[in-house]
Amino acid sequence: MNSWNIFGHDWAVDMLINHIAHQGLRHAYLLTGPAGVGRRALATRLAQALNCPTPVAPGVACGVCRTCKQVDAGQQADLMVIQAEAEGGILKVEQVREVQKFLSLRPYQSPFKVVIFLRFQEANASAQNALLKTLEEAPAYALLLLTADNAEQLLPTIVSRCEVMRLRPLTVAGVTEFLAAKGVPPEKAALLGHLSGGRPGYALRLSADEKALAFRADKLDDLRHLLGAKRRERFAYAEKLAKDKDAFRKMLFLWLAYWRDVMLCSSGAQAELTNSDRAEEIESLAYALGLAQARAQTRAMELALERMGKNVNLRLLAEVTLMDLPQVR
Amino acid sequence: MKVTVLQENLARGLSIVSRAVSPRSTLPVLANILLATDDGRLRLSATNLELGITCWIGAKIEEEGSTTVPSRTLSDLVGTMPDPQVSLTLNAQTQTLNVRSGSSTNDIKGIDAQEFPPLPVPDFADAIQINVADFKEMIQQVAFAASTDEARPVLMGVLVQVEKDVVTMAAADGFRLSVRKATLSSAVPQTISAIIPARALNELARIASDGEPSIQMVLPKGRGQVVFHVKDVELVSQLIDGTFPDYQQIIPRSYKSRTLIATASLLKACRQAEIFAREGSNVVRLNIKNSGELQPGEVEISAHSEETGSNETLVEATVEGIPLLIAFNVKYLREVLEVIKTPNVAVETSAANAPGVVRPVGDDDFLHVIMPMHLG
Repeated sequence: MNSWNIFGHDWAVDMLINHIAHQGLRHAYLLTGPAGVGRRALATRLAQALNCPTPVAPGVACGVCRTCKQVDAGQQADLMVIQAEAEGGILKVEQVREVQKFLSLRPYQSPFKVVIFLRFQEANASAQNALLKTLEEAPAYALLLLTADNAEQLLPTIVSRCEVMRLRPLTVAGVTEFLAAKGVPPEKAALLGHLSGGRPGYALRLSADEKALAFRADKLDDLRHLLGAKRRERFAYAEKLAKDKDAFRKMLFLWLAYWRDVMLCSSGAQAELTNSDRAEEIESLAYALGLAQARAQTRAMELALERMGKNVNLRLLAEVTLMDLPQVR
Repeated sequence: MKVTVLQENLARGLSIVSRAVSPRSTLPVLANILLATDDGRLRLSATNLELGITCWIGAKIEEEGSTTVPSRTLSDLVGTMPDPQVSLTLNAQTQTLNVRSGSSTNDIKGIDAQEFPPLPVPDFADAIQINVADFKEMIQQVAFAASTDEARPVLMGVLVQVEKDVVTMAAADGFRLSVRKATLSSAVPQTISAIIPARALNELARIASDGEPSIQMVLPKGRGQVVFHVKDVELVSQLIDGTFPDYQQIIPRSYKSRTLIATASLLKACRQAEIFAREGSNVVRLNIKNSGELQPGEVEISAHSEETGSNETLVEATVEGIPLLIAFNVKYLREVLEVIKTPNVAVETSAANAPGVVRPVGDDDFLHVIMPMHLG
């Protein structure tokens, strides 16, 4: 653990502390990395470090005062957290206008006004464009923190106006250790470490949510079953899928990781599998399908997610995805 | 906390502070009113982080303490209280406020007062003293010209400048500009320049009653806030950050035509014209006709709409300079005439596409600039 009490990303923490201590703070940072890697945690700690009235060292918040606790809860007077109404939703231009209104007034009680944009890749083009001016000439007391999966999803004009910090996934061992430290039993910690793909926040969420693991097991069983199923059954499943967009989306992510494992396995790569608990099943699939098919399926999952982001007809998307699955007995 | 207050006082205090409550905020505590014992009185505070209002009311305090309770619940409840005496008792463990009056007893669930954003405690030792009647008139004459468009926050505020013993207020929305000066009773050592949200000033004008001699104004250093104090009420507003446009540039230096006209007649004519103009694009035409040797000058005020019809009013005037046909937004013209107190106004114009200036005759402290509209 580093001085900000964040697991991993020591370089980023050191760099930000340096910025604060040497008055080199930028007006905007873009924190990128896969969901659950620690972007929000880093942004929150930065807001605390700036506005904590009783820091223990330059750039290190105490973490126990009223301000720090309020920032942690996202309920501080000079902090604003902006995100799409739901994961996979759209961050709208009205929300950016709210931010502009918030920033037009000077800070209420702290030295800085901090705005945290979560999952900014969900902002539509007009919302991103609306933010450009604020990003370009933010008031001196403003700090804008954007988080996104990766910088390429945003307008280049947004990215060029921010200091980009790419947060990389941690090692599987690292996440396992992190979970163990949080009191997760070792066996479960090891599995979650693999499943999380190096994202401690995501792993922690999985460990706290019994349903999430059950959901995963269900969906992977379904996939294995559907590979051997007839068309009629697949159509019936597609109809069910199309009714719940959120579950559909989550399922696609699970399937994507699964197909990636199959692809790795069939290519003979030595990389560790994400779904390590299903290694046997994956190996047999890899043997049956071969690299080309596995790769095509991985790509198909990515495409499906992309199309979902573009708001295509869910029923159609579900049917196409399922019909394209290969037949494996 | 255990206090007893008069129902009337509590209701009045709540109605004053509840204007600053923001019911739909990400911070739930902002929908609440802070109740705290303070030096033998009960302090009521509300804030939406932009505007904060505090009001002190007399109370019999048996036990010190503080809490916050939802504004609507408390206001509605106190409004229907039958007895003149209201007693408030806080259970600090559960943060429940017991409100008892006569035979009615109520428990309101609150939020810990620690959650409430702290309001500044300014030092009024070197406050600027401003006459209440003057200040209210200034606000009334200026604040309406501020913009309501959130795209340019600076224009949503009123520029307040104090230099020596002169205080100036200015507001503009891109189509009109209102400037008003007043003299202070004593000179101020430092110069002050701040952009105060128009909403806060309007609220101040509402709170300050004419019976009071003066308003105290303080700008605590480095806090980006302005605090006004009048009798039992304190109003805090965040300042708007930015540079106010250099409005002196907008005020025309000269004119080619000056029209002296009775305020009431022009206002009446504008109100009539608006009935027709509001259906279209709010255009009112002023046809300013020269005073000749034998006949007096006059202004023909007209408006027409494709659907409703048209209107024309002739008002007598004294016109110096060239005759002119110019069009204005009738709403802007009416709004400025409504706040002019003198019996006569002067309208100074130069061309159909140059801004017009409206000044009260015999009062150099106020002026209003309106951009003309296309004659079409």
